[in-house]
Amino acid sequence: MSNAPTAIEVENVDFYYGNSKALHDISLKIPKGLVTAFIGPSGCGKSTLLRCFNRMNDLIDGTSVKSGKIKIHGVDIYSKEVDVIELRKRVGMVFQKSNPFPKSIYENIVYGLRLQGINDKKMLDEVVEKSLRGAALWDEVKDRLDDYATGLSGGQMQRLCIARAIAVEPEIILMDEPCSALDPIATMKVEELIDELKKKYTIVIVTHNMQQAGRCSDFTAFYYLGKLIEFDRTEKIFTNPSKQQTEDYITGRFG
Amino acid sequence: MPETLEIKRLDQRPMTESLLSKNKVKFLGLGSDEIIKYFFSGSAWTAIIVLALITFSLFREGAGFFPQHHDSLKLYRLAGLEFVDYFRDQMTAQASLSRYLNELKLNKTLKLQAAGKGEAEIESLLAPLEQLRLDFDQAGLEGQALLDEMTSMAAGIKDRYTISEENRISRKQLIDAGMKEEADLLEIEDIDFAKEAENLKTTFLPKQKEVSATMAAKMKSLLAATKVENTIYEAEVNRFKATVSKYITGFDSVQMKMQDWTHDKPVPFYESITKFITGTKWVTQSFWQDWYGIVPLFIGSLTVSIVALIVAVPLGVGAAIYINQVASIQEQNFVKPFIEFVAVIPSVVLGFFGIAVLGEGIRVFTQWDMMAWVPGFPIAERLNIITAGLLLALMAVPSIFTFSEDALNNVPKAYKEASFSLGANRLQTISRIMVPASLSGIISAILLGFGRVIGETMVVLLVAGNRLEIPDFSAGLMVIFQPVHTMTGLVAQEIPEVVKGSLQYRALFVLAIALFLISLLINYVAQIFVRKYKISVG
Repeated sequence: MSNAPTAIEVENVDFYYGNSKALHDISLKIPKGLVTAFIGPSGCGKSTLLRCFNRMNDLIDGTSVKSGKIKIHGVDIYSKEVDVIELRKRVGMVFQKSNPFPKSIYENIVYGLRLQGINDKKMLDEVVEKSLRGAALWDEVKDRLDDYATGLSGGQMQRLCIARAIAVEPEIILMDEPCSALDPIATMKVEELIDELKKKYTIVIVTHNMQQAGRCSDFTAFYYLGKLIEFDRTEKIFTNPSKQQTEDYITGRFG
Repeated sequence: MPETLEIKRLDQRPMTESLLSKNKVKFLGLGSDEIIKYFFSGSAWTAIIVLALITFSLFREGAGFFPQHHDSLKLYRLAGLEFVDYFRDQMTAQASLSRYLNELKLNKTLKLQAAGKGEAEIESLLAPLEQLRLDFDQAGLEGQALLDEMTSMAAGIKDRYTISEENRISRKQLIDAGMKEEADLLEIEDIDFAKEAENLKTTFLPKQKEVSATMAAKMKSLLAATKVENTIYEAEVNRFKATVSKYITGFDSVQMKMQDWTHDKPVPFYESITKFITGTKWVTQSFWQDWYGIVPLFIGSLTVSIVALIVAVPLGVGAAIYINQVASIQEQNFVKPFIEFVAVIPSVVLGFFGIAVLGEGIRVFTQWDMMAWVPGFPIAERLNIITAGLLLALMAVPSIFTFSEDALNNVPKAYKEASFSLGANRLQTISRIMVPASLSGIISAILLGFGRVIGETMVVLLVAGNRLEIPDFSAGLMVIFQPVHTMTGLVAQEIPEVVKGSLQYRALFVLAIALFLISLLINYVAQIFVRKYKISVG
């Protein structure tokens, strides 16, 4: 399908919330350095799969990957030897609802670095500027870095969260419906940012917005009821899908 | 094309009729909604009115305290009790010096016994010390006798005044009731305080001077005669000698005070308030003079509460963090109801436990040989600050736990997820995100626990030891093994035996008001914390 090397390889994954099966035998290869969009109706399992990539689901009691493997850069991330903390440093995440900490803008950005014991002011300053520039937020907040992050607008907060995620220099960024709570202009800015970010990072984005998937992604995966229906280049999915269900969903006949 | 649907409903009336229907259920002209509204607002208002009544009655009963206290302080001066107390202070100091010698001897005896010395040998070793003690006591005997004489005279003046004041009141009542003959039987004496005071001074000033002089002379020669070089108590006795020399030089100032004393120096009204707030003595139903000083009680309540909080805060907050952040669901389901269950143990049951098990256990623990190295061990009192503090901690843990857990629960889950997604481990997430974000709630939980502890009565009454003295803080940390009395405990203890309307009765109400205000303050501060630092979600 693609010549790009694989970043995340999902092999026959079954995922359970307690006794109920949420993902059925999912297999796909997410290419490195590109944007992959997950689409599908609510409850189809796309967010669940996304949260498997940085093992966020570990935080929920009773969840488990019962069979199959998820390999990131060739390493099975669910094997016992894997250090989850390291994994999450390498695989960053931006959430559906922007969730800056109740701290200053500056402290939000450097949180991940402070966790690693980095407290050198000069170095932190550099990272703050670099990350905020990377998230296209620097010019808007450079004069008020010590202000409370919760005082920013919705779009700014979401870009702050992206800046916070890239401050720890991950290789993969997972975005879980990052624009669902934003107005069209803020959404546009975040989309421009995604376009910029894909030069450096592998991005996986879950979205309900079909146009967004069409605009920003290179690959698109369509899920339905916990099953992967179709995974292909975005333009193929949107112009000439091979499955009837995909076509129905994309043209708005259901979902 | 959709088919025409036939809607079937129970009410077959046409819409116009049903909207304007008049046959609603009414009771006393009220609709059901109104009845419910009045019922609940009635409940709320009842609670508020009851609370207002409680507050009102507290203040009404307590308000009379300060004028009465003022009268009592005035009489203290008028009747010459103050004059006598100058000398009493001098004699009390002598008694406590004597007690010091006694304790010193006891201490040394124990040490020598521990070193395996025989009884005869100990006696001979300590003979000079014993002689010093006896002679020192001897030196004070004359002064003690004089003090007794002065005391009975001043007390006599006070008693005559009190009785005649009581008679005056009864007489007025009798006359009002039309019983003239009975009224005339009651004697009323107008006491000439100026004359009595003059009498006091002329009788006792020269005597006091003389007695003090002989006392000083005796002590000086005694100190000079006592030779304790190369004994095991040399250092202590030398310190004692220095203290006594200083004590003797203080005699002059006592005489000056007695010389200058006048019975009619006005007592400013504010003293009735300041003496209550800063007074270090709480003495009631005394033949001499009642003192109402809140300090020992306040310090008692405070020390006990602080000990309780030092124990309860780490336990309560720690348990909350564990249950909220770390524990599995099974553990949560077991621990949470269990801790909340502790809150419903009746405090009298805890008090029994405190006396029979905890207090005794602490005492036995300090008596262990392996604990002997700790200075101050073994302790003498089984009922003390630490026993009460530990029990109160047990009572405070459930509220601190529950409210802290709620506060942690209120932290948006998104913070936690964001923290983990940035590579934080559990400890980092707890210490950097969860606790700071819920800090206001945790602080108010602690304050509410504090309020719970300082208001608790039964436990402290049973196990705090009820000694009406300021604990001796010079003992350092060992102060926690001393008994104290608390504000709540004292009110509960004294209220059954006071005469309604008396000074003591009113003093207890003022104490209750003080407690009420402290609790109010604590709750107010807790609310400020909750409001000011409420986490802004979103």
